[in-house]
Amino acid sequence: MKEMVKYGSTLTLICIIAAGLLAGVNVLTKSKIISQAHAEEEASLKEVLPLAVSFEPVKSEDAVLYYKALDGEGKLMGAVFKASGKGYSSTIETMVGMLKDGTIAAIKVISQNETPGLGSRVAEPTFTGQFKNILDMSGASAITGATISSRAVINSIENKAKEIRVFLANE
Amino acid sequence: MKKLINEFLKGIVRENPTFVLALGLCPTLAVSVTLTNGVGMGIAATFVLLGSNVIIALIKGSIPERIMIPCYIVVIATFVTITEMVMKAYSPALDRALGIYVPLIVVNCIVLGRAEAYASKNSVSNSFFDGLGMGVGFTLALILISAIREFLGAGTLFGHALIKGFEPALVLGMPPGALLVIGLLLGFFNMLKNRKA
Repeated sequence: MKEMVKYGSTLTLICIIAAGLLAGVNVLTKSKIISQAHAEEEASLKEVLPLAVSFEPVKSEDAVLYYKALDGEGKLMGAVFKASGKGYSSTIETMVGMLKDGTIAAIKVISQNETPGLGSRVAEPTFTGQFKNILDMSGASAITGATISSRAVINSIENKAKEIRVFLANE
Repeated sequence: MKKLINEFLKGIVRENPTFVLALGLCPTLAVSVTLTNGVGMGIAATFVLLGSNVIIALIKGSIPERIMIPCYIVVIATFVTITEMVMKAYSPALDRALGIYVPLIVVNCIVLGRAEAYASKNSVSNSFFDGLGMGVGFTLALILISAIREFLGAGTLFGHALIKGFEPALVLGMPPGALLVIGLLLGFFNMLKNRKA
């Protein structure tokens, strides 16, 4: 009995100290983590639709559906949205810039963990460059040896683009 | 002083965690795909090793033997979580690249192994240098493996293409490549050791 109390209290004490320390570090890094994510998002928004001046998130409940892209006069010029598809070894997330008429302006792969040297090449300009100012995605060719990763990107963008075109048409 | 330096150096060559002790091979196999990942993982593990070794050497007297392991795991997990938070805040790209392998440092057997086999029996300063040496040894091993794999498997180093027209052997970037490279390196280091003996 006495031993059990001793073991319990030692472990409890260690856990309390550990929890306190982690709470401290969390306070120190939390705002930095959020601002990093925000800055990254902002930068990739600009990258896929450089002509837009500001972006306005369109939300449903708490999730961001897409961003409205506004020009210098505050007029709607397009939208930016995220598409994600299951690749070979990870979920590939892309940021897509779309003009008002529904053409895709540019895309950027924002997160992927595909096989290096094969699937990871979907993030390279040779692949993403195919999606500049096109309306129809069927002409895009997959990377040799990385069909699954390439199709994941193409299909996810195609599906999401259909949805966003409906939103844009209603604006 | 000479003893401390010796504690530090033994982790790099004589008791290198990867090539001699063969500990912590799972993360080594998994993250050694690119040099950036290798360096990042090495630094993160070194920080955890240093921190946990020092704290465990400090508290070793007041921990009953029967609850040693849970206490050590809490200490190690705390350092791992700190590492993860700091990495998320200052290097989100690296955090994404390493993914699950950062939290998995908790169960990296180098860390618990050093805590149990060394820090729980030695002084704080010795444990500090032991942790540092093991961490640096692990980092160097990761750098060697990931440099070979990234260069031969993807034709790049730190993501920069080096030789124009070099056709990489993709298999080295994939899991079989990790086993091949580590196996050959282990054999190579054993051969050197046997020759010396």
